[in-house]
Order: sequence, then C-alpha cells, then structure tokens
Amino acid sequence: MRKRWGRKMIMMMIASSLMLAGCNSGGTNNEAAPEVSKNDVHTTGFPIVDQPVNLKMFTRIAPVNGTFKEMPVFQDYEKLSQVKVEFIEAQTDGFQEKKNLLFASNELPDALFRSGISPLEAIRYGSAGQLIPLEGLIDEYAPNLKKLMDQYPEIRSGITTPEGHIYAIPGIVTLSAARTDKKWINQMWLDKLNLEVPETTEELYNVLLAFRDGDPNGNGKQDEIPMTARVGLAVVSAMSGSFGLDSQLGYNINIENDKVHIWMGSDQNKEMLMYLNKLYKEKLLDPEIFSHTEAQYLAKQGSGNTGFFFDQTNNNFLSIKDQYTGIAPLEGPQGDRLQSQALPIARDFGAFAITSVNQYPAVTMRWIDYFYSDEGSTLLRFGREGEHYEMKDGIPYYKEDFLKEISNQAKITPYAGGGAPHLISEQVASFINPPQVQEAQQKLDPFMPKVRYAAPMFDEQTAQEVNILRNDIDKYYEEQSTKFIVGAIGFDKWEQFQTTLKKMRVEELEKLYQDAFDKMQK
Amino acid sequence: MKSVKTDTTITMPRSHPKKSSGLLRQMGKRLDLYLMLLLPVTWYVVFHYAPLYGLQIAFKNFNPAKGILGSSWEGFGHFQRFFDSYYFWRLLWNTLSINLFSLLIAFPIPILLALIINEIRNKTFSKWLQNITYIPHFISVVVIVGILNVFLSPHTGPVNLLIEAFGGTPIRFLEEAGWFKTIFISSNIWQNMGWQSIIYIAALSGVNPHLYEAAKMDGASRLRRIWHISLPGIAPVVIILLILDIGHFMNIGFEKILLMQNNLNLESSDVISTFVYTTGILKGEYSYTAAIGLFNSIINLVLLLLVNRIARKTSETSLW
Repeated sequence: MRKRWGRKMIMMMIASSLMLAGCNSGGTNNEAAPEVSKNDVHTTGFPIVDQPVNLKMFTRIAPVNGTFKEMPVFQDYEKLSQVKVEFIEAQTDGFQEKKNLLFASNELPDALFRSGISPLEAIRYGSAGQLIPLEGLIDEYAPNLKKLMDQYPEIRSGITTPEGHIYAIPGIVTLSAARTDKKWINQMWLDKLNLEVPETTEELYNVLLAFRDGDPNGNGKQDEIPMTARVGLAVVSAMSGSFGLDSQLGYNINIENDKVHIWMGSDQNKEMLMYLNKLYKEKLLDPEIFSHTEAQYLAKQGSGNTGFFFDQTNNNFLSIKDQYTGIAPLEGPQGDRLQSQALPIARDFGAFAITSVNQYPAVTMRWIDYFYSDEGSTLLRFGREGEHYEMKDGIPYYKEDFLKEISNQAKITPYAGGGAPHLISEQVASFINPPQVQEAQQKLDPFMPKVRYAAPMFDEQTAQEVNILRNDIDKYYEEQSTKFIVGAIGFDKWEQFQTTLKKMRVEELEKLYQDAFDKMQK
Repeated sequence: MKSVKTDTTITMPRSHPKKSSGLLRQMGKRLDLYLMLLLPVTWYVVFHYAPLYGLQIAFKNFNPAKGILGSSWEGFGHFQRFFDSYYFWRLLWNTLSINLFSLLIAFPIPILLALIINEIRNKTFSKWLQNITYIPHFISVVVIVGILNVFLSPHTGPVNLLIEAFGGTPIRFLEEAGWFKTIFISSNIWQNMGWQSIIYIAALSGVNPHLYEAAKMDGASRLRRIWHISLPGIAPVVIILLILDIGHFMNIGFEKILLMQNNLNLESSDVISTFVYTTGILKGEYSYTAAIGLFNSIINLVLLLLVNRIARKTSETSLW
C-alpha cells in the first residue's frame, strides 16, 4: 500500500522538478504585415487616416498615474488623429518581467509606448524580426523627429545599429536641466549653523558633521539625516565626478584622448568608495540608503529633515522649497570637479518601438511623431488649454486651481513617472523645471562634460558578448561597491577586487567599448 | 448471498483470459473512477509533460521570433558558460547549504513538536499549543518578509532595541551575509513547524494504545515509551516525508529568498532559482537560464534517487 502510493508520488516529483527548466512557447513566425496603401495615410495634417484605425500598445504606468484611457491627451488625440489606441498597461513593478515575457512568448502588441527598451533588447528583438526597422518610416512619416535628429546628430548615432537600423525611438530632451540630478543642500541649516556652501568634498564632510551634531532643526534630538540618495549605487554616480570619474557611453567609462577606460578598478574609484565609506561609518550618509524604497526617499526630501541629496526637480519638496538651494559639484581631493551624472539628449532610449505584427506602421509612426513637436508635447504634458493649463508669454503653465490637488497632474499626463516618448524642451518645462531648478542647473553647467556619449549600439554578436561579460561584472561591481561603502569588506581587499574584475575579463569589455567608440568617431 | 458474491469475483477473470480486453473491461466496470482520474492526468500532460519539449532551448540559442524548433543549436555551450561563471560555486554552495541546513535543523522540529503535543495530558493546553504553532502557516510570504523587516530593523526593530537595552550594539540582520541563513531557516521553522507537525500527530494517534499500556505495565518511563513505541510507530511517515522533502530540495523558498535578497547579503542568499529568475526573466537570457534550471533539476533528481535508495536499503520504507 505504502509502496504503491510512493510510485505515484515519484512520477509527480520528476515531472514537477523538471518543470523548472521547461518553457513553452509558440513557434509561429510572423508573416509580413500587409502595408496599408499609401493613399490611406495622410503624410501631413490631421486626421492621419480617414477611416479609424485600431492599435494595441503595451505600456508602463507609474504608481502616480491613472489609467491612460482617461488621460485627456489620448482622448483628444484620438479624435484628432482617428487612431484608436488601446493600452495594455503594466505597473512599473514587474514591468520588465511582463515586457520580456511578451517577447519570449511572441504575443506582441502593435507597438510599445514608454517601454524602456535597452539597446541590447532593441538589437536582440530587432535582429530577430520582432521589432521592425524604423529609419525609413522616420524619413517619410516623422518630420518632427527627423528635424530633431538633423539638429542633434548624436541622437541618430546613439540609436542606429552598426547595420544602420533604428529599432526604437528615444525620449528626446533638449533641455539640459532635465538630464541631470541637481545637488540640493539645506540652506536653512547652513544659515543656522553659520556655514558656507561647501566647495570641496572635504568641506562637504565638515558641513555634514555639523548637520549631524549641530541640531540644525532645533528639536534637541540628533535625528537629522545629513545626506541621502536614491536606493543603491545612485550615490556613486552622484559623487563620482568629484573623483574624476565620468559616465560616458552609458557605462562606468572615462574617455581621454579617444581612449576608453573602464574605471571600476581604478585608484580614483577606490578613493571615492573610501570617502563614501567614511561618510557611512560616521552616520553622515543615510544608513537606509541601501534599503529604503523610492517612496521613502521622496518622503525624506519632503520632510525637510535632510541636509544634502540629489534630484532632478524640486517637485518632491515643493512645499518647503525655499529651505533648499542647488549647489555646484564638489571639488575632489585630486582637484576634479565634474558633473558626471548627466544623460545624453536621447535621454530615454527605447521609449517607443513598433513590432512586426503591426499592420499600420506608417500610421503608427505618424501617430508618435506628433509628440516630438512643441504642440504635441504640450498636449501630452499639459492636457487641455483652459481646463488644465493656460498660456503665459507663449509658454504653457498648469492652472493654479488645477494644481491645488497636486496628484491631479500625474493623472492627466503619461510623462509623470518618466520615460515617455516625447520632446522635452524649454517650451514645456514650466512645471518640472521652474526657476529654482533652472538656477540649480546653472550651478552645474560649467562642470558638465563637453560631450556626453550615449551607450553605443553593438552589432548582434558583439552585443551578446558585451551582455555575457556585463552580466557577471556589473553584478560583482554593484555587490562589492555596496560592501565597500558600508564597510562589510575592508579596503585591504581592494587588490582582490581588481584581480576578480580582471578575471571577469573587464579588459575585453573595455576593448569592445573602444571598438564601438572608434566606429562612432568615424 | 454471500457465497454468490465471492464466486463471481473469482470466476470473472477466469472466464475472460485475454489480458488487453480484460483491462478495458475492468476500466469499463469502474468508469466513474477512471473519469475522475482523467482530469488530473490531463492536467499533468498539459502542464507538466508537454512543456518538457521546451527543455531543448537549453541546448539552443532560443530566439522567440524563430520559435523553439527554428532556433539554432548551441550544444552544451550554455552549460559550459555556467560552469565557467564566477558565480557557479557560490550559487551551488548556497543552494545546497541553505537546503541542507533547513533539512537538518527544520526537519526534526515538527516531529519533536508532535511528540510534545501528543504527550501533553491537558487537552486545552495541547489544543492551544497546536493552534498557536500552526497559525503562522497562513501568513503569506510577502507579509512574513515584511514582519522580518520590521522586527529586525537596526533602528526601530524590537530585536535590536532589546539588544541595545542590554548594552549591545544593534545588528543589521538583513544586511549581513552571515545572518541570512539563520534568519531564513529560523523564520521558516517558526512559520511551518505547527503545520508540518499535523501529519505526525495524525500518525501518532494511529499507534495502538495497547502498546503504551503494556509498556506502562512493564514499568517503562515516559521517555522510554516515546523512544520505543511512538518513534517507531511514525518512522515510515517520517521517511516518506523526508524523501518528499528531498524531491523539491533544490527549489525551497524561492519567493522568500528573492524578497529577502539585497546587495549586502547576496553572498549567502544568491541561489540557483533566484539567479534563474533574475537572469532569465529580467534580462531575457532564456537559453542560458534554461540550461541552469535543467542542471538544477538534474542535481535534484540524483539526490532523490540517492535518498530513496538509502532509505530502501536501511529501512523497509521507500517511495518505490
């Protein structure tokens, strides 16, 4: 009796244990989508098509957003363009997973909106034929985007594969203030403690000490958070410029005299990590920096109880914004003073892509192109004139009674939450980049690198190699840097760290980036 | 009446000696039962056996657009890459050690608990004990990890406040690699011991009470009775459950480990199943991680066969 039961059980066990590696997927190939004859698509003006066209788009919605269907931008644009878009929405949490499963199971939507496709994914899915090349469509149906790409050649070079294809369109940010985190310091605390704005990393250290011990919030308790940052290694990219570490080509890379150098094993990096370790040890750096959530971090900004932190805007501490002021990057011990945490003009790579199942690629391209014009971008960010915004000196501003409930704003526009495919210029920046933020940006401007190279596009095989190398290296780097900062391992292990990086073939990776850079220069 | 009934059951097979039709006839006679079996069998075929054909992507460069059959062959390249990977030994050690320690520490505890509950004479107290030990089983993994975060927080967690009250320095439990396994296993024990003990309690209640009385007459102490009657009485159940545990040895606690992971404890929390998830699903390396998953399953299968064989050799009980 017992034995027979056992036999059945074992059958189940084997089956279920082998399940882990199993993966079922339909193997259907896509037939070439029939082109809509060109007469049906108007190359200029609206509507785009005479007969309504339906499109399915996969998109990410941030926690602050409402559903896209209810956003005035999409409601109004549908009437204008005659293109009905049905959004398949995925929450930011788990979005990456859902997106990958979409491609893996080959159940594709017509397009991906605000999709955060990485260069590697664009190449992988593009060369597999799941994403279609867009360069021809852009030339013919996307005058606004094309104009931007002609104006800023680095956009085109940053998104074109070595074979000359464009598989994904970026969010384009011509406004430099929207491409970098400002360095915000608590001016009220500085005044109270009679301190100057710090200019060097050493001065910053002393200011933070004073923040910790001087009780600047005056409650008699030592509860101030001298310095904080987004979760994880965001603090590294925010401070690296002071130690001469740049972030070119979308990676931990310095470029000098056309030589690509991955700096993870360098002495400057060691110096930076030692500095951060010192801050962490003395409780100057938020002890929760590796565990708090994004929401907790934003709440800390709004609490007014933080001394020094990094953010692109002042949105999160609007109610106490006068307490803070933006400062210039700090000068490091070797005299380095660089704002290295800055993104290229094609800021959000892979914000939009068209898949092979799309029957109306031309229509889709015209649909998205509108958002790369000032007019379309205004509609996307501000909604309806009169109802949500009003024009002052030719620039749209949210109406005050609309802003009374601050959460209203994120409900009407998909740009709140980041990564939406559209043009961000000074024209549409009145809310996210008000004067205070512009001023903070001006402090950074002199220290911005002359050129900011975007992540290069590798050919398929190289991309795979880079991916294999980076999988191990990035994981190791992140883990070890975190440990160095909190002091879980000592700096006597630095050589071991360097040796392991070498063992993981960081030099090979450097060479691949060098080759890619050389090609970009041609 | 009685004799007629036995007669028919004996003569039935004799009158139909052909085996194949005999099976069908048998099935026909018990059609209702076989119909009931149909559903689980279909479920296994559709969800557990059919997907096995997807395993071949471990030996291919899976390209979703080309499908499983259309993708090019890679051979053992993905396995090679995994074995050469910097993380191979760490993943293997963590996977094995977390499960091994769980087994060594967490497996005997429900048995002990069952014995205690069985020995308690006061019915109210034993019911109360049973209830408070099995209620945690119904808390979801996400909530459990949340509870751990709150209780073990270095600033506000009661555990650290207690340590501080006694003059110690707070410990960052969840951010130190050295603490990970201890916390993982002990919280597992807390959550599951009551639940797992139920089956042992049931087995204990099946032990013949006359044996206890006889032993008492012979003057056996309580410990003696536990040792010589209770334990042998539930031994077959213990062995079967042990082998079943080995059956999912390599996959224990995937969600919980994933939720508890951070960069600082990765050194001891990175296991094969979480690695497969983060690399395979989040980074889209399907073939590579299918190979890793297959490797994981093979180890598991070998372990299962091994333990079953040992059990069969050393005791009468085994799964097959």
